[in-house]
Amino acid sequence: MSDLVIETTGLRKEFRTVRGGQRVAVQSLDLAVPAGGGVHGFLGPNGSGKTTTIRMLLGLARPTRGTMRLFGQPVPERLPHVIDRVGAVVESPKFAPNFSGRLNLQLLSDAIGAPRGRVDEALETVQLGGRDRDRYKSYSLGMKQRLAIAATLLKRPDLLILDEPTNGLDPAGIREIRETIRGLGEAGVTVLLSSHILAEVQQVCTSATIIGNGRLLASGRVDDLLGTTTAHRVVVADPERAQAVLRDAGLSVTVVPGDPGPEHPEIRVETEDAARITQVLGGAGLWLSELTPLRPDLETFFLALTDAERLGADR
Amino acid sequence: MSAFVRLLRVELLRLVRRRAVLVLLVGAVAVPVVMGVAVTLNTRPPSAAAVADAERQVEQELQSSWYAESRAQCTENPSEFGIDSTDAGEIERQCTQQLEPTIDSYLWHQELSLASESTEGTGVALVVILALLMMVLGTTFTGHDWASGSVSNQLLFEPRRVRVWGAKAIVVTGSALVLSGVLLSAYWIGLNAVAASRDLPSGGAVLVDCLQMGGRGAGVVAAAALCGFALTMLFRSTVATLGILFGVALVGGVVLAVLGVSGRFDPALNTLAVVADGATYYVDAPCPPEQGIDLEGGYCSEERTLSFAAGAAYTGTAVGASALLSVLWFRRRDVP
Repeated sequence: MSDLVIETTGLRKEFRTVRGGQRVAVQSLDLAVPAGGGVHGFLGPNGSGKTTTIRMLLGLARPTRGTMRLFGQPVPERLPHVIDRVGAVVESPKFAPNFSGRLNLQLLSDAIGAPRGRVDEALETVQLGGRDRDRYKSYSLGMKQRLAIAATLLKRPDLLILDEPTNGLDPAGIREIRETIRGLGEAGVTVLLSSHILAEVQQVCTSATIIGNGRLLASGRVDDLLGTTTAHRVVVADPERAQAVLRDAGLSVTVVPGDPGPEHPEIRVETEDAARITQVLGGAGLWLSELTPLRPDLETFFLALTDAERLGADR
Repeated sequence: MSAFVRLLRVELLRLVRRRAVLVLLVGAVAVPVVMGVAVTLNTRPPSAAAVADAERQVEQELQSSWYAESRAQCTENPSEFGIDSTDAGEIERQCTQQLEPTIDSYLWHQELSLASESTEGTGVALVVILALLMMVLGTTFTGHDWASGSVSNQLLFEPRRVRVWGAKAIVVTGSALVLSGVLLSAYWIGLNAVAASRDLPSGGAVLVDCLQMGGRGAGVVAAAALCGFALTMLFRSTVATLGILFGVALVGGVVLAVLGVSGRFDPALNTLAVVADGATYYVDAPCPPEQGIDLEGGYCSEERTLSFAAGAAYTGTAVGASALLSVLWFRRRDVP
């Protein structure tokens, strides 16, 4: 039994263009999402091949080359045997516009033979209970997204694939969905979350895969991708003296303008060792107001990777 | 309950919950009702007052000088009235036959005939209208799924595409078959009851012929629904499918004629052969010498008959090929 819920090897997808040419959407993509719950971010700029990869995994598109496995089973050959364990929202929600939200869910629920109460549970989870008998076309974009997530919950999935699930949601809606996703991840569901909103991904994802131009750029645990802390920001009452003391102690120090303005400079100390900073400054009678570890955020890391990929592709 | 039976139930529910489908179903019920009422009213026996009025007019004409003069002319110069006989009694009989007014001359009345209704009357027209309605039903049912994108959502719950195609096709075709079978049977049974109430030929072989025609018609209606469905699954657009189907139905025969293809391959003719248990068509053929026409290289029109079996084979092949192409294409192509 594989310990990966999603595994692709050498995955490639080509599209024919109108003029008879060829466009490669995904090339030689090796994707591995471990089992055991948690949220795995799937990141990439627009047109990088995220949705195409997801569509191939779900049997909606045929790969040109390569192999795919879900729960260790080769897909699309064995997809019918594992589809009941996979919930997915691909791109925008797609339901019959003149049916109510409830009827749309009921049809999907009946198709898999889910118990009657499952629809009520799913609607309650996404808080659509009050509008479930309204026509789908009367829903706001946020309600449509919530209905799509409710549809995925009908299966009680072990793997949830969400493609831009917070598109069109207001901040409160984004937060609700984020909490739902985090809760599902903590409850043992493995979530593959494709999103542009890197701050959101960083908040909920334990691991991530970054692709660009259909190619794998980086993959692993988020902490590992971002690396360890290599510097600290220090705020003290007497920054000039603090600089001198820290330099005397052999630490590398730079001064940057503070948040309120240049009249309140902050000190950046290049070390992973926070204890050493407090020891040196305390020994000199300088008491810290703030000591913050400086780490690259996902956005910086992502942009650095995708910019490099774009430059490489342009050459 | 097996997964496929569940899928059939879901597709049936999806079908009957569509408003456009309900409108088409109401239309399908209304059409035979309206046609049946119209036939019943158009063929009703004349009222006593109308008969009395006609009798009065006949009496007036018999008394008129015009009638007397005409009878006299006919008797004196029978050849002017196309009467060759020289026998006085025969001349008198033929003159009476030609000139004597009858009630029917003043009382136009069409009698209900189940036989003529089924072969050349409303029977064929009803099948054609039902076929068009069910073709639109098959088209709009799945066209709506493609337009809303919900096909991909359905495939996330049942990825076996042939099963999905099959369940939808069975529901569309079966619904059209059952509905049109019931409606056409009810139509003929209703008209048979009207004919029986008027002491006209009804029941027995006449009714069996009509019901058989209804059965063949129901088959054509179901095939039309399947064709509409299959082509929409192929083209993924209601508008494109309807355009092609109506184009074939309306101008297919004309195009074939322009291209010089035999009328034998006209889709409308073949469909008619199925519904009416055979149909006649005409082809250009060398004039037979017994006609006495001596045109160098000239052609005469020759009547031929297209049997039910030939029409059914043609129609079945066309619909079957569309369905096969559709299911293979749906199985293979990416779904948006």
